[in-house]
Amino acid sequence: MSSYLLLRRGGVLWGIDNAAVTGLTRRGESFRIAMDGEAPLSADEVLCVVDDLRVQPSAALCRFWPGAAAGVAGLAVHGELPLVVVDPRQPPAMLRLEEGDGTDG
Amino acid sequence: MIAPESSSKGANGSGRLGGLSTGSHLLVQAGEYVCALPLVSVRRVVRSLTVHPLPGSAPELEGLAEFGGEPLPVLNLARMVNAAPGANPAYPVTVVVWAGPADAREIMGLAVDAALEVADVPSASVVAGGGGFLLGEAPIAGRVVRVLNLEALGRET
Repeated sequence: MSSYLLLRRGGVLWGIDNAAVTGLTRRGESFRIAMDGEAPLSADEVLCVVDDLRVQPSAALCRFWPGAAAGVAGLAVHGELPLVVVDPRQPPAMLRLEEGDGTDG
Repeated sequence: MIAPESSSKGANGSGRLGGLSTGSHLLVQAGEYVCALPLVSVRRVVRSLTVHPLPGSAPELEGLAEFGGEPLPVLNLARMVNAAPGANPAYPVTVVVWAGPADAREIMGLAVDAALEVADVPSASVVAGGGGFLLGEAPIAGRVVRVLNLEALGRET
């Protein structure tokens, strides 16, 4: 069973396959998430790791959210919160670490 | 209005299933338009769900919600049909529907101003359709209703 790291970025709750995450570093008010073989990601908040997500694909989401479509593996719910599950091989641009996302701290 | 139970075809040519005609539609208010949703695709009508916006999404997509433990993309139906906004709705609802083609349907929410009634919409009465999400228009009880095809929702256009 896959486990997922849940994080918040841009007001959205995201889930990333925890097996693809190799490190987590605080950078000021945000977090740097090192990925296996991929560019690092950034999070405003890191919530928890869960292993009970039921991920459902969503063609409609891809149609109406084209900017993120390529990097979305599906949707899920944790507690009563909907979340977007990321394809760790090509995460959406809004998750990528950018300059100004905080400094090592 | 819910049609009386019958096992035969109605005078309008619609087949009947239990107490409802297969032409039964849920009429909803979406801005200034009244839209008809096929009742077989409607799973539930609930008080307007809490929606979590998705930055950068199309204006039709209000965001994500949760319903019965499932994630739910919620679309603004008035924007989907290019309806001008109506007055502030007194009791907005989310219509939880099955959308997309039968072999790849998915659950989705449609934010509307109000759920009005169930009405029979004979397929023969639908005119001026484009064959896509907006199937066409039909006269129902003296008003023009936009008849929607939820199987076309979610397809790339």
